Amino acid sequence: MESELQQVTRLEQINNEAAEQASAALSKLIDRHVDVAISKAEVKKVAELSPLIGTEEMVAGIYLPVTGDIQGASLLIFPKETAFILSDLLVKRPPGTTRKLTPLDESALKEVGNIIAGNYLTVMANALQIKVVEHTPNFSFDMFGAIVSQIITQFAEKTENALIIEIEFTINPETFKGYFLLLFEVEQFKAILGSISGAEDLLC
Amino acid sequence: MADIEVHMAEAVTNPGDYVLVTSGIGSCLVITLYDSKLQIGALAHTMVPSSAKRDAQYHQRASAHLSYEASTIGHACAVAERVSTKTEDTKYVDVAIDKMLRGLEAKGSKREDMEVKLIGGANMFPSLMSNDIGKDNVLSAKEKLRAEGIRIVGECVGGSQGRSVEFSPTTGVVTVKLKF
Repeated sequence: MESELQQVTRLEQINNEAAEQASAALSKLIDRHVDVAISKAEVKKVAELSPLIGTEEMVAGIYLPVTGDIQGASLLIFPKETAFILSDLLVKRPPGTTRKLTPLDESALKEVGNIIAGNYLTVMANALQIKVVEHTPNFSFDMFGAIVSQIITQFAEKTENALIIEIEFTINPETFKGYFLLLFEVEQFKAILGSISGAEDLLC
Repeated sequence: MADIEVHMAEAVTNPGDYVLVTSGIGSCLVITLYDSKLQIGALAHTMVPSSAKRDAQYHQRASAHLSYEASTIGHACAVAERVSTKTEDTKYVDVAIDKMLRGLEAKGSKREDMEVKLIGGANMFPSLMSNDIGKDNVLSAKEKLRAEGIRIVGECVGGSQGRSVEFSPTTGVVTVKLKF
């Protein structure tokens, strides 16, 4: 009989391992127990990304280019309220204090982006035995549509799809949501998803 | 009057009384074209500067298909039609301007009565991205409009902020919204 571990697909393994590592790293950063869970992973056409969040909704976007054996982009998105809650926790202010992001908050949020993207890409690179180079994160706080469209535009000639990973953070008693987007060039994207068992259904 | 949302890579010409809106513009460039005499207009939500590079690659591939298919099964016409359809890709600044010009000229518009406003072309991550596609979009639009002899009467471009746009094609009025 197949063990429980064998029944778990490789994509789930990547998601679980990345979430576990991110939980440990964020718990250490915030000095409180943080549970990171990947609630959904799906592939969408880049043109269909905007309805994820309202195009004019203010979000914090942390962008990291991806190079190495694969060329792409990773973008972590936090809705405004989530970014404020995280900032309170990261810089140890009383809950509900942050109403505007300071350079210190931006720096702290970039570190969260580094942890989430870095862990996911490292786990994925190990699983696929490819080399991935991570870059320093860059930050923008603006309309969702403006931030996402800039990343899509960089790949307008090169890709049609994005892997969208919905992330839930639980820091008792609160749970809040963020989005992690991965974009790669068309052929590389097909190769990546094609080599991850459990991801076949995601291929368009 | 109700609004029409113009999404990325779309261009809408002669929408009658409908107000054209597009929200969350970053490096994309919104181009409005207006004829004050006829009180008609068009709006394009472009993404990348020029179709020239794409066309060179596409025509090279299409030509290979064309000569292969013409010499084998004689379906050259079908391939040529695909090339023509592909050049209507209004995510490109130059293609979108051509489409809007044709749309207004079909209604009797003259170029001397047309005016353009440009909005967007920002760089949301200025410290990281060496290739400033927003700036390239603006430069490409200005070059194309100069070549076509169309006046630019207003612009709200560059910087590192997102914008939303509302355009009334009957009055030519453009409203730009920033959030900060």
